[in-house]
Amino acid sequence: MGRAAPSSSSSIDSSNHSSAASSSSSLSLSIESNSKSGGRLDLTTDLRLGLSISPSHYNEFSAGASPRYMQQPLNWPPIRSILRSAHAGKSHDLPEHPSLFIKIYMEGIPIGRKLNLFAEEGYEGLIRTIGHMFPTTFITDSSADRVHSDKYHVLTYEDKEGDWMMVGDVPWEMFLNNVKRLKVLERVGD
Amino acid sequence: MQKMAGSSFPEEVLEHVFSFIQDGKDRNVISLVCKSWYEIERWSRRRVFVGNCYAISPRMVIRRFPEVRSVELKGKPHFADFSLVPDGWGGYVGPWIAAMAAAYPWLEEIRLKRMVVTDEGLELISKSFKNFKVLVLSSCEGFSTVGLAAIAANCRNLRELDLRESEVEDLSGHWLSHFPDNYTSLVSLNISCLTSEVSFSALERLVGRCPNLRTLRLNRAVPLDRLANLLRRAPQLVEFGTGVYASELRPDVFSNLSGAFSGCKELKGLSGFWDAVPVYVPAVYPICSRLTSLNLSYATIQSPDLIKLVSQCQNLQRLWVLDYIEDTGLDALAASCKDLRELRVFPSDPYEAEPNVSLSEQGLVSVSAGCPKLQSVLYFCRQMSNAALRTIARNRPNMTRFRLCIIEPRTPDYVTLQPLDAGFGAIVEHCKDLQRLSLSGLLTDRVFEYIGTFAKKLEMLSVAFAGESDLGLHHVLSGCENLRKLEIRDCPFGDKALLANAAKLETMRSLWMSSCCVSFGACKLLGQKMPRLNVEVIDERGPPDSRPESCHVEKLYIYRTVAGPRFDMPPFVWTMDEDSELRLS
Repeated sequence: MGRAAPSSSSSIDSSNHSSAASSSSSLSLSIESNSKSGGRLDLTTDLRLGLSISPSHYNEFSAGASPRYMQQPLNWPPIRSILRSAHAGKSHDLPEHPSLFIKIYMEGIPIGRKLNLFAEEGYEGLIRTIGHMFPTTFITDSSADRVHSDKYHVLTYEDKEGDWMMVGDVPWEMFLNNVKRLKVLERVGD
Repeated sequence: MQKMAGSSFPEEVLEHVFSFIQDGKDRNVISLVCKSWYEIERWSRRRVFVGNCYAISPRMVIRRFPEVRSVELKGKPHFADFSLVPDGWGGYVGPWIAAMAAAYPWLEEIRLKRMVVTDEGLELISKSFKNFKVLVLSSCEGFSTVGLAAIAANCRNLRELDLRESEVEDLSGHWLSHFPDNYTSLVSLNISCLTSEVSFSALERLVGRCPNLRTLRLNRAVPLDRLANLLRRAPQLVEFGTGVYASELRPDVFSNLSGAFSGCKELKGLSGFWDAVPVYVPAVYPICSRLTSLNLSYATIQSPDLIKLVSQCQNLQRLWVLDYIEDTGLDALAASCKDLRELRVFPSDPYEAEPNVSLSEQGLVSVSAGCPKLQSVLYFCRQMSNAALRTIARNRPNMTRFRLCIIEPRTPDYVTLQPLDAGFGAIVEHCKDLQRLSLSGLLTDRVFEYIGTFAKKLEMLSVAFAGESDLGLHHVLSGCENLRKLEIRDCPFGDKALLANAAKLETMRSLWMSSCCVSFGACKLLGQKMPRLNVEVIDERGPPDSRPESCHVEKLYIYRTVAGPRFDMPPFVWTMDEDSELRLS
């Protein structure tokens, strides 16, 4: 018995103009970070099909996709995450909404925030999102870009072994498998 | 009727009279009579409720009401429950606690909803208020078990610790051991939201030495075979929440548990039941007839077992259950529970395209027919019809809270394929005391015309994926005289209705609009023209002035305030105010 395709009354024509714009921009980001992670293209694509069709992209994909779960708008239906997570781990072959929430702290701010890593296309998307959460200035690895400034920020993560590493060292998928939480550190000077 | 000169009434007499009036709204009215009544009232007010923590500053509250004993604050907008408010938005209680620590040494009660609380804040509470009695943290976050340990250790007179649905960083279960051995005043403990184990021996000793314990809600981590011991130590319990309600069937465990439940002669409310297995459900049968409240939101038992259970609960007033109950279960509920006031049916599998249970509009119609006192409904289902809604409306004109969520957005009447305007129209027309309404399904501007015309007592309206034009929003804002809270997502409502009804917004607590069609330009205009509103744009794409003025904002939160714009906003929130022209350009 096949899954019913979303009916014409579903949100393909929803008023999410703004999210349509942002989803196409983050689409192109994913292609870039793909090449940055260096050559594991096939694997990445497979993983992406499962993960990166995040709800904000559903407008683009719902026409052709045949998901085993319903393509719902983001954060719908309105049930509390406590109730949702209580039923997680029931007989579902696919997660209801692929998500990987981890905590991110900024040095000097006691309250951490939460971040859904599966909603990011890769390192660039991650940096952008963090830039919206905290007032930060990240400097990319390529030292050519390095501007002589007073203060900049460095993104680190705690891995499964409890070690703190620089974000961006490993391919994105490996990072997703290992990350436990993030911390933004302040650095001064040269 | 002889006239009394104002000065012939001594203050003490007035104060004594006022002491019989607890309700904040009534006290507000009293304070408007004359200056001396205002003064007497403000010195004698003991409870303050602030529905939006940004509507006023702590200093202003303290200045007016210097002798407060009980404070209730709410922070984030309601849609934060569904992750629509990005993390870091605000709602910090820190400044309030700091101010109250200095001004209200005799504060006894703090109740918070959707606020960010830190461990430092909890520690400050525990050390600042010598007679502290009640801490309720509803859907709060930002603290850990370290903060709880401080509360346990320092609050000698604590009666109530209720963490309902809060997000707590669970560092260790040993915080419970911080209650001193001579601490015996606990009346209510709700730790159902905690994820890790608490120390059982500490819990048992605590329960055993607190003779006034009325409410005990455990977390999932408490195994079933521990329940009997706890219940036997607290046979005076009125409300009890189990932990995980699953275990291998062992006759000794079963009979022990059943006996323990029977021993609780005052028990009226049950909750918990995580992953409930059918074999242990009969352990509660002996007390079913006394139950008035049953929360089975986490119980994965199916319709036949649910029917056996609810059929024995003739005095049930409140039922929260998963849609496993199905239409047949709701028929049984309608037949057995004639005192039912509130029903909530949650979806067990909301993300599946195909329904996994046989629950339709019929179940709700049955209950509306069979339960004459039903006044509060929250119902998730996959199909609805105008005819059913009309029937429900006619059956239950006493309905005060009606929240319907048809899981697929924009679903029409499944029989006629028409919009559900007429059905909801019948609800607002017949249910003249309706205070809260949530809409779903396929809806045109028509339904808003009905709401504006009939829903005169409506205070809170939630709308999603509905309407066709600004006219819809205009109907609501211009017609609903008592509207306090309006939350809208994914509707084609824009600038016109908002600007035309700007003054209305000052009569409301708040307006939330996300994924609608409100332009940045309109937000700026509104912020400039309405100094007593905070118009906040939430946009994670970056500063709104980096895009054209006609560009729609992602999310908009407007609320009335006497405290001016707030200054604790994260980088993705911008306040539109009189200065915004200057600041953003």
